[in-house]
Amino acid sequence: MSALSRRNLFFGGAAAGVGALMTGCTSNNQAAVPATAPAQQSSGKPGKPITIGFSAPAADHGWLAAITADAQARAKQYPEVTLKTVEAGQDATAQRAALQTLIQEKPDVIVVLPFDGAQLTATGRAAMQAGIPVINLDRQFSDELAFRVLIRGDNYGMGVAAGHFIGERLKTAGTSAPVIAEIAGIDNLPLTQDRSRGFKEALSSYGFKVSHRVAAEFTIDSGQKVTANLLQAAPKLDAVWNHDDDQGVGVLAAINQAGRKEFLMVGGAGSRKAMEQIRADNTVLKATVTYSPTMSGSAVSLARLIANGRGIGDLVELTVPKEIRLASETVTKDNVADYIGLGF
Amino acid sequence: MTDLASAAAPKMKTSWWRDDASEPVRRNLGLTGVLVALVVIGLVSAPDTFATSGNVLNILTQASAIGVIAIGMTFVIIGGGIDLSVGALTALSAVWCTTVATQGFGGGGMLFTALVVGTVAGTINGVLIAYGRLVPFIATLAMMVGARGLATKISNKQTQPVNVESINRLAENKLLGIPVLVLIFAGVTAVGWVVLNRTTFGRRTVAVGGNAEAARLAGINVRRQTVLLYALSGLCCGLAALMVVAQANAGSSSQGDLYELDAIAAAIIGGTTLTGGRGTVIGSLLGVVVFTTITNLFILNNLPTEVQNIVKGAIIVGAVLVQQFQPRDLFRKR
Amino acid sequence: MTDSADTPVDGPPLLTLTEVVKTFPGVRALDGVELTVRQGEVHCLLGQNGAGKSTLIKVLSGAHRPDAGQITWQGRSVSFADPQAAMRAGIATIYQELDLVPDMTVAENILLGHEPRTAGFVRRGAMRAAAHTALTRLGHGEIPLGRPVGRLPAAAQQIVSMARALSREARMLIMDEPSAVLAHDEVSNLFRIIRELRDQGIAVVYISHRLEEIRQICDRVTVLQDGRTTAADLPATTPTAELVGRMTGRTLEHVFPPRPPRAPSGELLRVEGLTRHGEFSDASFTVGPGEIVGIAGLVGSGRSELLETVFGARRPDAGHVLVDGRRLKPGSVAAAVRAGLGLAPEERKSQALLLGEPVQNNIGLASLSRHATAGFVRRGAERAAATEVADRLELRPQDVGRRARTLSGGNQQKVVVGRWLLGGTRLLLLDEPTRGVDVGARAELYQVVRSLAEDGVGVLLVSSEVPEVLGLADRVLVMREGRIVHEARAEEIDEHTVLDLVMAGSLLEGAAQ
Repeated sequence: MSALSRRNLFFGGAAAGVGALMTGCTSNNQAAVPATAPAQQSSGKPGKPITIGFSAPAADHGWLAAITADAQARAKQYPEVTLKTVEAGQDATAQRAALQTLIQEKPDVIVVLPFDGAQLTATGRAAMQAGIPVINLDRQFSDELAFRVLIRGDNYGMGVAAGHFIGERLKTAGTSAPVIAEIAGIDNLPLTQDRSRGFKEALSSYGFKVSHRVAAEFTIDSGQKVTANLLQAAPKLDAVWNHDDDQGVGVLAAINQAGRKEFLMVGGAGSRKAMEQIRADNTVLKATVTYSPTMSGSAVSLARLIANGRGIGDLVELTVPKEIRLASETVTKDNVADYIGLGF
Repeated sequence: MTDLASAAAPKMKTSWWRDDASEPVRRNLGLTGVLVALVVIGLVSAPDTFATSGNVLNILTQASAIGVIAIGMTFVIIGGGIDLSVGALTALSAVWCTTVATQGFGGGGMLFTALVVGTVAGTINGVLIAYGRLVPFIATLAMMVGARGLATKISNKQTQPVNVESINRLAENKLLGIPVLVLIFAGVTAVGWVVLNRTTFGRRTVAVGGNAEAARLAGINVRRQTVLLYALSGLCCGLAALMVVAQANAGSSSQGDLYELDAIAAAIIGGTTLTGGRGTVIGSLLGVVVFTTITNLFILNNLPTEVQNIVKGAIIVGAVLVQQFQPRDLFRKR
Repeated sequence: MTDSADTPVDGPPLLTLTEVVKTFPGVRALDGVELTVRQGEVHCLLGQNGAGKSTLIKVLSGAHRPDAGQITWQGRSVSFADPQAAMRAGIATIYQELDLVPDMTVAENILLGHEPRTAGFVRRGAMRAAAHTALTRLGHGEIPLGRPVGRLPAAAQQIVSMARALSREARMLIMDEPSAVLAHDEVSNLFRIIRELRDQGIAVVYISHRLEEIRQICDRVTVLQDGRTTAADLPATTPTAELVGRMTGRTLEHVFPPRPPRAPSGELLRVEGLTRHGEFSDASFTVGPGEIVGIAGLVGSGRSELLETVFGARRPDAGHVLVDGRRLKPGSVAAAVRAGLGLAPEERKSQALLLGEPVQNNIGLASLSRHATAGFVRRGAERAAATEVADRLELRPQDVGRRARTLSGGNQQKVVVGRWLLGGTRLLLLDEPTRGVDVGARAELYQVVRSLAEDGVGVLLVSSEVPEVLGLADRVLVMREGRIVHEARAEEIDEHTVLDLVMAGSLLEGAAQ
């Protein structure tokens, strides 16, 4: 018995590493392929050696894991770029300390996804004052002087996209007074509130409203738990929007366990697993609205341009713009083939 | 000679209600009252959905994994300790039993792995506390941080989907109309009750938690008992991990988040005293069900989560206050 | 030796106690205490363990309120609601266990609770000055004000405690066995300080077991016995024999069961050269089956530690314990229990009982596996066995389902003895078996112990009450400062001799004078 258990544990651990390596490779390589060609076009041949400092929260979430992985994969494609990743720890205070150390080392550019934009604004400003351009990812600093470039997703736009997809489908089906549910993420985050606002406003343009709203915590457990209860609260549903594909694993599990399939569901963020399910078309999940972590790869490319004092190739301006906002796109069975490479 | 009898005589006159024999009943009565009140609120506020068999089974299913952990926690607390690592051990067991290689051994292999990982980690807790002389709070706090870290490392921050059908279907399967997960919870509760009330292990647990020095001087191996208690808690975490995995159809290092607080809260409102030596399995069961019912009620009525947490906090304080009004309890010293 | 003789004081009474009574459930701890303390004198309280000294201190310091009688302080009848009230009135108590905060500094401890302050801010300078003044008054201005008290030696801590009393302008200082924690030269320093305080007009109530100290420091002596004042205001020069006489002579002749005529034979327990550094050394003795061996000694003489070491609850530094000629594994309670030893420890509630559990579970605790099949307790069998034991010990109430907490002290002790009886114990170790047990119940316990011995159980008994040891035991060992200094058959030794041996040999000197 003990021999069996030891072998079992050993293989389990070893395989975890291998599995992770494989998924890491596939997703990042595929993500990188379509972007590689334009990057080389605009930047030309390798220039002087560049050091890019990078910091993102170390949370147990697929999207955040992809942020770091995509940045690293992108940096590998430029031989002259060294990506210096600093551990951001578990909260804003730890990240602040890590960034301050990083500033002392004077990298050429810093790419940072802060735990909380407001709490790290002063640190961003300090880096800028030290002459280090800062690329602010996703969660915006509260002071414009704290970053050189802001790249972020569109939370409000996600809600709008999900609302329009659901609205169109239900209108086409001729459903009157549909029962629509929303499974939000962590409720006290501004991004959750933005998503919900977009969803609500888009739906209202069809004369629809959200009848049930629950909030999970971006984790599988919480997704499963709130959905199981939600399905009890609503014996019949027409549509569900789930803000986050990570918690969506639990949401779908709860739906399967309840044996419910009378409604359509839209996901959020755009994980690879969600896209595979959309492609297979054998679950209630019919679409997902993207909030892509590929922004970190783009940030590395922009950092390289900034360090070399160049602008984006096809644009007229000589330098990189101050702000870039990714559009939230709707991935359905029809276009999933184009996006599946970008799934995380 | 007669003065001996007279010394105890005044206490003999007290009614059954104040007598010791009724104490477990009295302890759980408050909580049963809360549960009844919640049911009434449910019937009034969501008449169509609350009292359906589907919803009742849903509540019990949601309570099952955390319930199993709370039973293990109850033993640890009665034994005079505390286990802060249960949430992290659940995550570690869940991640370890859903690695690709472990899944290759099928559902049985996954169950075995989850149980072994939980038990081994729990045993480490116990050894650190009993032989390393660490305070339980510190030892299990360290385990909480460390095990969560290890889980994150093993999973490489990825969600590990389960491809083993027997596990994926576990959460849907029913026996005689009752979900298997609920049956597991019921089974663990029954076994927990028997072990606590009918076995030498249970007696030793109460003795070690109630008065460790007395237990030691009565020839009980206090250290071994302590190790066994934490191993038991770890075993419960391993079983709960499999239940969580079955529900989510996936393993992730984010699973079991804050379960330690839920489990401790359930045990405490169930009448288990943090000083050890006293507690009931049934009380913890009720505690878990009360919390799960609150969550269910809030979602049925489409209410925001923050209010739910306020209500939960109020119930913890209220339940403990009610217990403290028990007349003769204050004699327990330290 | 008699410095006190040259400072005769006959000032006005500062404190007078008349007919003070204090009862606890089952015990009349104070039963008519008379005490007069004058300004500027050192007044000694003398009495055996259980004579009521501790209760008296607690009444004086406001921790207990008397049930009857009168306390007059500075001419006014008073009743202190709590220790703070007594302190405000000018009575400070220095306990054996010093009540200092180890992590706070000397100055902070001295001024604790009455720090000089302005608008909530402590004036540190003023605090240090006040602390320094108090220490200087005691002749110890050299104690560093900023050092955490926990890092000072015991003697210095005691001085800090006294300085605290002075800083509160105490008029009377109660000191409970202050010399117990001190080395010899530190004691003489303490006496110098006490004399200086006396000369400053402060009254000192001094409690000690050591007769020679009393001669050195005291002006007058009050003797307590069984909660009653048997002699008040004796001069310190009173012959020792008379003092001891006032402390002894309790009428307990009916209490003890008669000894069997036969001499116990055989050997059950043999202890050889057992030593634990700093607690006891080189203890060797035997206990035979059916024999009761008593150990007499003061608290701190190492007797409880010796008993716990025999039982394996402490690991000896040297020596060994043999049962039936076989060595016990040192430091293992389990081994001792297997060999047939059972301990009824000194602190019944904190060391022996599960107060919230039924009597049945308490009795069954040491023999769980005996009434279990495959780990399941056979509750019926256990209950039957526990009930049988309860019958044999005449436990009241007899119901073994009651919680241990609801029983009287004597019956709780029976539960502990019953635990070992059920476990088949052949050698019972009893540590202060009658502490907190009232007189009637004591007699029953003695009867129980004797009848166990008649059934062949060996008993090793420790008690600080000399009459108990003499009355119950067949053979007596006297311990002083960690050593067994005397051994005798119980019939061949009397209370005076034992008390004298226990209290460091002053009786023989005193008698010779």
